Amino acid sequence: MALVAVKNLSFTYPERTEAALRDISFTADRGEFVVVCGKSGCGKSTLLRHLKTALTPYGERAGAVFFDGRPLSEVDQREQTSRIGFVLQSPENQIVTDKVWHELAFGLESLGEKTPVVRRRVAEMTSFFGIQEWYDKKVTELSGGQKQILSLASVMAMQPDVLVLDEPTSQLDPIAAEDFIETLKKINDEIGVTIILSEHRLEGALPRADRAVCMAEGRVICEGSVTGVGRALEGMGDPMLSAMPAPMRVYLALEGAGHEGSAGSADDSIVADVPKTVREGRIYLERKVGANRAKEAVIFRPDRAAPLIAIKDTETISSRPDGVEPFIAMKDVWFRYERGGRDIVRDLSFTLKGGEFVCIVGGNGTGKTTMLGIVTGANGYWRGKARVLGLDPKKATVRQLSQAGLAALPQDPQTLFTRNTIFDNLVDVAAAHGKSASSEEIEEEVRRVCELTDITDLVGFHPYDVSGGEQQRSGLAMALLARPKLLLLDEPTKGMDNFFKEKFAAILERLAADGMGVLMVSHDVEFCAKYAERCALFFNGGIVSEGEPREFFSGNSFYTTSANRMSRGIIEGATTAEEIVEYIKTM
Amino acid sequence: MSEKNKAYRMADGYDALSANESAERWSVFEGFHPLLNYLYFAYVVIVTVFFLHPVLLAISFASASAWSVRLGGAKALRFGLIFVLPLMLVATALNPVFNHEGVTILGYLMDNPITLESILYGVCAALMIGGVILWFRCYTSVMSSDKFIYLFGRVAPAASLIISMTLRFIPRYVEQAGRIASARRGLGFDVSSGGFAQRVKNGGEVLSIMITWALENAVDTADSMRSRGYGLPGRTAYSIYRFDARDGALLLVLCALTTIVCVSIFSGTVNMGFFPLFSMNATSAPALVAYVCHAVVCLSPFALDVGEDFVWRSLQSRI
Repeated sequence: MALVAVKNLSFTYPERTEAALRDISFTADRGEFVVVCGKSGCGKSTLLRHLKTALTPYGERAGAVFFDGRPLSEVDQREQTSRIGFVLQSPENQIVTDKVWHELAFGLESLGEKTPVVRRRVAEMTSFFGIQEWYDKKVTELSGGQKQILSLASVMAMQPDVLVLDEPTSQLDPIAAEDFIETLKKINDEIGVTIILSEHRLEGALPRADRAVCMAEGRVICEGSVTGVGRALEGMGDPMLSAMPAPMRVYLALEGAGHEGSAGSADDSIVADVPKTVREGRIYLERKVGANRAKEAVIFRPDRAAPLIAIKDTETISSRPDGVEPFIAMKDVWFRYERGGRDIVRDLSFTLKGGEFVCIVGGNGTGKTTMLGIVTGANGYWRGKARVLGLDPKKATVRQLSQAGLAALPQDPQTLFTRNTIFDNLVDVAAAHGKSASSEEIEEEVRRVCELTDITDLVGFHPYDVSGGEQQRSGLAMALLARPKLLLLDEPTKGMDNFFKEKFAAILERLAADGMGVLMVSHDVEFCAKYAERCALFFNGGIVSEGEPREFFSGNSFYTTSANRMSRGIIEGATTAEEIVEYIKTM
Repeated sequence: MSEKNKAYRMADGYDALSANESAERWSVFEGFHPLLNYLYFAYVVIVTVFFLHPVLLAISFASASAWSVRLGGAKALRFGLIFVLPLMLVATALNPVFNHEGVTILGYLMDNPITLESILYGVCAALMIGGVILWFRCYTSVMSSDKFIYLFGRVAPAASLIISMTLRFIPRYVEQAGRIASARRGLGFDVSSGGFAQRVKNGGEVLSIMITWALENAVDTADSMRSRGYGLPGRTAYSIYRFDARDGALLLVLCALTTIVCVSIFSGTVNMGFFPLFSMNATSAPALVAYVCHAVVCLSPFALDVGEDFVWRSLQSRI
């Protein structure tokens, strides 16, 4: 018998005409690892919240949810608290207390457990997660990834039978996200807890899952084994496919949905099915290309591939004025936060011209964001030279820099909004940057930018009432209304699903084509490889390598896209799944 | 260092670097049960504040100085010399200037009598002020919020959770306000410039969005609490403290000693009066006993620390 079963569930939020969930049925057996995927706003969260009464939203409902053979409504709160663990999206918001030990004990306190029981359970969990060192810490001392592991541990301390996780890694950087998913897999393997996980970063989660449920517009569009779902999506030509791991995409694009696959022959059990990991992808690719290639690796010539992005048009690049001073010019810049402290940025030289879209990648704590602070003037460097739009950022005032055309978009767009509607926020910025303009002109300008960022339908809402991706777009619109010549973006793709990433890239390309300089700091290697014009690797306070994405990422061995890791040594120079497919097809 | 790069600093994770700089030295006394810690501080602070007996004050002040330097090292010493000592000197000097009570006139300052009694009173008041400041310094280093919440939680469990949540939220709000200011600056709104009216307006805007933000996030926090069973009847309060035999023994000793001191104070064995003429109990045997008891109590944490050093060293030398 399934542990969790949803039968014909439909749900409509109050005062909405569109149903959020339509006739959903799915089950999760004991010990299964189920991934629920779908683009943001497809109803994943709404569905998962129906799996625990305490979190179920108000609204009109039809159908039923069963837990362990009983309707969920008949399972009492105490039992649900303990047996159904729920981890939410935000690492900050779901932590209630100030100390790690208290957070771990919180659920058990609610259940009324006596001190010796709590002590033992908490001890077990801290050992299992290997987080003993945190025990006496304040939660503010933990990083985002560590906070999320803490939330997981504090739920696990109640010994649940099923863990439901609503996009737990969306706020984390890729390495922390990978650690988190790995921990989930460990729980699944070693304790046998059933896991129901919703995710948009499928690269890590899908290969570890037993089953996938794919949703769109409140419906389940396909469900089954991971490879089955991949095949079904390919068969439907569904855009969800672009969120799948690169090896799967390559395989499906080349072999088609119905095809059992040449690599899936009985003689090789390791790739008996669609490859999900880089390792399986390599084995598949080796066989696919192997027959046709010489001993050396095939060199992938960029000119063979269709230009991926409009901005790489030679015309655009050549039309750039060469003699003009670059937008950012840094030479041997050093920076530290306190006197006698460590240099966070050291010996940094970097230039960015108008019309360029440059991505800076690198691990946590290498000083990427600190560098953005130097450009905005918040961090005053103590050695070297820097010019931003012709000004010295250390000496120029915020107003001067802003008038020269500098705008920065922070990591969290929520920090930008100060007014009650998106429209008011936009008008605020537009008015501040176009003092002489009449109110009609300002509204016209706002309307134009709204169209560009695709938020025209949202302007009447409170900025906190729209989804994360929509907030990101509204933030971008605000930044654009500051009429920037140079746009700084800090981790803008965090929490964006793949569909909007494409749209977002298109916007950036259009802006760069119009001559704007775009500097983006990101962990999102896949995004940078696909869309940036130039990438730079930040390490230990400076840029260690820099180049056009293809040459840049094929020069890196580990810090690169999974498509590149998969094709390394087999097809040189391919950095995206599309390029691999492109190459093999023209082979 | 300026506040303006705080958001960048946080984003790149460098706050942790400076957080450990002010780490205080661990005291043996911290390892005792919070109840003991709390009662101890209650005793020393109450006796210091309410009983201006020169000998008791001197003992209290000396003990507080010794322990605070032991806990805080050079930093505490600097704090004592730069802040506490001048404050005490000012208190000592000011009292005779404004207080002219007392009969032993030593001289006149601008036609006002300076009396021996008021000088003595000033010295005692200074010892009291300095002592209390130093005791509180030790208190903050020994009594973590956990301990306070634990003790408070015995009386009012709900209140203790609220304190814990507040301690979680306040740093978050401060951080968010910094982020908002930094984000606004990125779009050319300088929160800290402009005229007074403009600044008030800027501040108001940030405050209003902070409230919305806090409420918005509180919904998530409430979900997380409900999901983990908050509100079910029969909630218990877990604590990481255990009252063991060592705690019992120390409590017994301290209770006995403090009782002797208190009895001496209330029976008048130890007494003093400043005005009109300074008087103090004679240094009789019972008074000496009270002094010694008070000294033992005040010095006990410091003595425990020093004792531990000896034990540690002897263990090491045996290896």
